[in-house]
Amino acid sequence: MFLVWLLAVPLAGALAALIAPARGAKMIAAITSVLALIGYAGLLFINRAGVNWGWIPEWGIRFHLSGDGLGLFLLGLSAVLFVAAIFASDKEQGRAYYFWVLVLEFSVMGLFAAVDLFLFYIFWEVLLVPVFFLLTGWSGQRGKKAAMKWLIMNLVGSFFMLVGVVALAVIHNQNGGGLTFEISKLAGMPMAGGVASWIFFAFLVAFAIKAPLWPLHGWMPDAYGESPAPVTALISGVLSKAGIFGMLRIMIPIFTPQFQQYQTWLLIVASIGLVYGALMALRQKDMKMVTAYGSMSHMAMMALGVFSLTQVGLLGTTFYMVAHGLMVGALFLVLGMLEHRTGTRAIDGMAGLNRSAPRLAAYFLFFVLGALGLPGLPGFAGEYMIIQGLITGHVVFAVIAGMILIVAAWYMLRIFQAVMQGPTGSTGIKDLFTGQVVWLVPLAGLVILLGVWPAGITAHAVPSLFHVMHFAIGKGGVQ
Amino acid sequence: MSFALWPEYSVVLGVFATMFAIMLPKGRGIAAYWVTLATLAAAFMATWTDWTSGRLPILLYAHGVSIDAFSLVINGLVILAAAGALLIGWNDRRYGADFPVLVLLALLGMMVLGLANNFLVLFVGIELLSLPLYIMAASRGTHQSGEAGLKYLLLGAFSSGILLFGLALLYGASGTLTFTQLAPAHMVLPLAGAGLALTVVGLVFKLGIVPFHMWIPDVYEGSPLPVTTYMAFGTKVGAAAILMRFLFFGFALATGWWGPALGYLAVLTMVVGNLLALAQKDMKRLLAYSGIANAGYLLVGIASHNMVGARALLFYLLVYGLAVLAVFAIIAFVAGDRESIQLDDLKGLAARSPWLAAFLAIAMLSLAGIPLTGGFVGKFYLIQAALQASQPGLAIGLVVGAMVGLAAYIRPLQRAFQKADGDAGPASAVRWPVAGAVVLVVAVVGTIGLGVYPSPIVHIVNHSAAFYWLH
Repeated sequence: MFLVWLLAVPLAGALAALIAPARGAKMIAAITSVLALIGYAGLLFINRAGVNWGWIPEWGIRFHLSGDGLGLFLLGLSAVLFVAAIFASDKEQGRAYYFWVLVLEFSVMGLFAAVDLFLFYIFWEVLLVPVFFLLTGWSGQRGKKAAMKWLIMNLVGSFFMLVGVVALAVIHNQNGGGLTFEISKLAGMPMAGGVASWIFFAFLVAFAIKAPLWPLHGWMPDAYGESPAPVTALISGVLSKAGIFGMLRIMIPIFTPQFQQYQTWLLIVASIGLVYGALMALRQKDMKMVTAYGSMSHMAMMALGVFSLTQVGLLGTTFYMVAHGLMVGALFLVLGMLEHRTGTRAIDGMAGLNRSAPRLAAYFLFFVLGALGLPGLPGFAGEYMIIQGLITGHVVFAVIAGMILIVAAWYMLRIFQAVMQGPTGSTGIKDLFTGQVVWLVPLAGLVILLGVWPAGITAHAVPSLFHVMHFAIGKGGVQ
Repeated sequence: MSFALWPEYSVVLGVFATMFAIMLPKGRGIAAYWVTLATLAAAFMATWTDWTSGRLPILLYAHGVSIDAFSLVINGLVILAAAGALLIGWNDRRYGADFPVLVLLALLGMMVLGLANNFLVLFVGIELLSLPLYIMAASRGTHQSGEAGLKYLLLGAFSSGILLFGLALLYGASGTLTFTQLAPAHMVLPLAGAGLALTVVGLVFKLGIVPFHMWIPDVYEGSPLPVTTYMAFGTKVGAAAILMRFLFFGFALATGWWGPALGYLAVLTMVVGNLLALAQKDMKRLLAYSGIANAGYLLVGIASHNMVGARALLFYLLVYGLAVLAVFAIIAFVAGDRESIQLDDLKGLAARSPWLAAFLAIAMLSLAGIPLTGGFVGKFYLIQAALQASQPGLAIGLVVGAMVGLAAYIRPLQRAFQKADGDAGPASAVRWPVAGAVVLVVAVVGTIGLGVYPSPIVHIVNHSAAFYWLH
């Protein structure tokens, strides 16, 4: 029932924020997100039972949520990041802003918990709407264009995926199993090869656009560049994971033969994305865009973990999604504070800020180190597992991934050096105040916890992953 | 006189009662509206009584009319359309005192189309639907409105001629007027083929399928707002219902004659309609092209020629109609004394009237097919129908159309929700007329309700389109 809590609380909070007085909206949103976090704690420590209610019996659609090891920690990541993002938002943003943020939380929670394909699709598409409005109403000059790109590109993928969703159910029906959208029932279903490939790519494209993976990242620069920092943190920290999560949740169980068939090509495309993101990050002059392209490169790393089709690779991806979400989300929030204080995002415009704001610099360095994969911090553990998964069968791609880790260190440290070190600029900036430390400390603490104790997640994820890969293993597909 | 026809009888009686109400010396006008509303309620009650009577289907007049679950659902839909149009134009004297009577007459035509099972009844229905709409289109009396009425009349008469010619050829080829007695296998072939083609063209003209759609944008733009609403919802219901019954009852055994052709027309319509909607600056024209595109979606249900298709068609008619009612009600509110609004008139709507902007968002997102609105479930149902019929091309055409459509529907929303430019200054809130507000709230609640819990309506349409000869 805690899963229902996770969905119901943000939705109720969204409505409350809408009708509350404008000044109280942030307070309501903050309380709501904390309540959701408490609900998540209940889910984690007290009772992980899912719900499975009939919804549209005529079409075999069920309201089926489950907190299994795949989604459990992504739910936690979302609960944590939404609290941080709401605390980091301006009070003046108004009611509608908090309404949309909470609607986003609702849809994200539903997405990570849904195990019915129809339900998954509902949340998958619903989450586009709040981001669209957040980009339209609360972002920079080109926000309208960014919003349009975001919506159109994502929906192009989603609509084809919708045909795939229905096609899977119809094929299941024609095989004599009745109409159902239950992922576990669709898994391992016999399909004609040609049809299966088409459906496979319908899903793959939708997920790759959301991640975003090269070459389907066209919406990313504008959306990341224009959105306010908390929204960027949510897009990169939580929403981008939805794409990879979809691959794990839906595609691995249903489409393992297709993955094997196209594995080399998928690995090649993901590696290109890995290199492309890193190189683009190197040449950006805007610190937010460095992080954005760096994040895109890391998403390609997660995709490599999935495409490796090995247990350890998939496990690495599952873990890295949570770790990366925490670190990059926090990094974008810190960058937002920097931008707020200095009024610019250009790397050239700043230097030596660590004199006037040592605490801010310390947190900045911490999350930068996490993002570049320093051993001891969780990024390293995830990347290590992914490379280990690759190295057994695909050494070349493992080598490429390893090389890119070096480039990652380069571009991440480059922004830290340029912004925080060097000769002091003419004016200093204000350091962090208590209200900001309050949510930065727990974020940093969680990152350290994951870094030294990855088993906290992997131990839970292994059984679920095993379950996911059950059919694949039966066919000798996954090593 | 059969009691099963009471929905239609009550409308006929209501027409006379409304005419007398118009003639009342005192309190002229408003009484007629109330009488019309009471008539709609009575027609709905009669429909409901038929539905629960358990004696369906009832065939009357030598199988000329068929009162069955399908016709009753159509009754419900067109009554909703008529009520919406009536309330949006509630007591608005600009459209002439006879507006309510014409609404009822057109309603009768739509209801007849729902139960027609015979060429003559079909033609009577089409004319009964069209003639009042010609008058209503011109009822504003302005230059534009007159132009719309004339255009509609000329092109409508032309299409009626084609339809009549087609029906005559079919009669010549088969020797029967009744759909269910048509036997495609025994028809004289060239005659039957030509007859079928001309009949279908005549009917899809009313539905507004590309390439027979040219009249729609001009007529929608020129007609008064409530009339456009009525045309966008009611006419489509009537035309889709009769097209479906004609093809499914008469030519179910010869789907090869019409299935592929309608499939191509559907894809063409969905893509072209939405593409043209992208370029519009006027809300009514945008809705007109959206109506064309949505007619294409409806055609998917027919071109699938299976039971799921028939059900999806009925379901989609409802969700489309609700979204259309909501959008037109909002246009009417924002327009005030004008007859239409430009997209740019919506700028800053969220700041002026947040609730109105939110409702606009819901209706537009439903038209675009975003989940948790009825429009999504409708499209989902249609895709299901196309895939069950093993026609993935139709499903793909549908989603391609929906993608283009999304871009079209998003443009007004962006204007409504973007940050104010600053120089505009705080405009006053939009006034909500009570009658229109009823339509708006019902339509929006229905849209959300159908998106979140469509099960009851799915149950009804499944019961309604359960033709044993289809699979």
